[in-house]
Amino acid sequence: MYRVTTYSLLFLITVLLQIFLFDNLSVSIYLNPLIYVAFVVLLPVDALPVLVLLAGLLMGAAMDFLMGTAGINTMATLLLAFVRQPVLTSLYNRDDLREGGIPSPERLGHHVFLNYLIVLVLVHHTVFFTLEALSWSHALRTAVRVVASSAVTVAVVWLLSRMFTAKFVVRL
Amino acid sequence: MHKLIEFIRSVYLVVLFVVLEALAIGYYARSTYYTQARLLARSNAAAGWVHERFADLHRYFRLEAENRMLIERVATLEERLAQYDEAANIDRLRNYMLDIGESKYRVMTATVISNTINRSQNFVTINRGRRDGVVPDMAVLAPNGAMLGYVVDCTDRYAVVMPVLNTSFRASGKLAGADYFGSIYWDGADPHVVSMGELSKYAEPRRGQEVVTTGFSQFFPEDVLIGRIESVAMDETRTSYTVRVRLAADPARLTDVILVENRDACEILDLQHSEGVKERLRTN
Repeated sequence: MYRVTTYSLLFLITVLLQIFLFDNLSVSIYLNPLIYVAFVVLLPVDALPVLVLLAGLLMGAAMDFLMGTAGINTMATLLLAFVRQPVLTSLYNRDDLREGGIPSPERLGHHVFLNYLIVLVLVHHTVFFTLEALSWSHALRTAVRVVASSAVTVAVVWLLSRMFTAKFVVRL
Repeated sequence: MHKLIEFIRSVYLVVLFVVLEALAIGYYARSTYYTQARLLARSNAAAGWVHERFADLHRYFRLEAENRMLIERVATLEERLAQYDEAANIDRLRNYMLDIGESKYRVMTATVISNTINRSQNFVTINRGRRDGVVPDMAVLAPNGAMLGYVVDCTDRYAVVMPVLNTSFRASGKLAGADYFGSIYWDGADPHVVSMGELSKYAEPRRGQEVVTTGFSQFFPEDVLIGRIESVAMDETRTSYTVRVRLAADPARLTDVILVENRDACEILDLQHSEGVKERLRTN
């Protein structure tokens, strides 16, 4: 096991950012970015799928506890962790995946990383907001919430990934 | 052999995923708004302190607006007090005061430490708990005296409030000055507008008319302002109105709230669930 400390730190930072900053934004009902997905998205590309799934479970359960949403975060994050590997293999060269490393614009290429990020965030946010609304009568509103919140989440996770990988360069 | 191992590996991941997801779905399916409030109340034991520091900071920047509003509120109350002083026959007032002894309602204030408006199940957390005498079912009013919600759960130091901006919230409201009432609920769309349904077709609601709470609720005192009517629509069945009510409270900018406890609530509730009443229900 490597980078346990850095990932624990990332876990802590994303949780704190989510709970104390992004959950208290109260700007608009359409804006509820769930930036904590960064933790699962930024796990090394060669991480064991089981570990990714367990990481998703851990993050989802922590968020459910702190936000008081009974199970929605866990469901969405588990699905995100589950589809992560197929999305990676379909977007990215299989041999390059074995090399490992943290998914970042530098490693995967800006285009691939953005696609990877958008797909995962959309999957997660769609599940979250659909379960949260729990009715199809406001489907349009739910769709707007998914898109608006996803856009902010993607931007924040992109920044986080830049910061997260930049730290390694300094260290080397 | 290699393929078999590979197969088991891929399958066991799917199985693990399905099991975990099923557990989460099962938990969610059995949850109610009370479960959610309970979770929040528990996690506030850990996160409440930090929330409180951030709320302090937020509050500091709103002090000016808050002060202005308080002065306005004091002014209106002064005015009302002056009216009482003038109009009330002093003797009668004295007798009246003797009769009720202490007020039916107990009032205290609390500071909001965390609040969301962007979900369909929003909750407000405040920094008063059991230690300060907060109990579930207490009414919560915005600083301008408008209806906001009621306490659903509390720990020693914090309490979780279900505001009107929660799709599980229900209360009864009536048109000010008339006795027609309807049920107040939020449809999850606009954080400044709620709906009042099942309003009688004879009520003749008008735009701009005030909507206040009824005395039926076990939570709210009578005649607490909810908001003003924004638009009126007749139901398809043409038997009742559904009106859109613009909230008098601003849930997006909450820093402090007023808690109101109905001292008689326990007694009324006990009476409603008393053996005598149950007996009658059974025989009918």
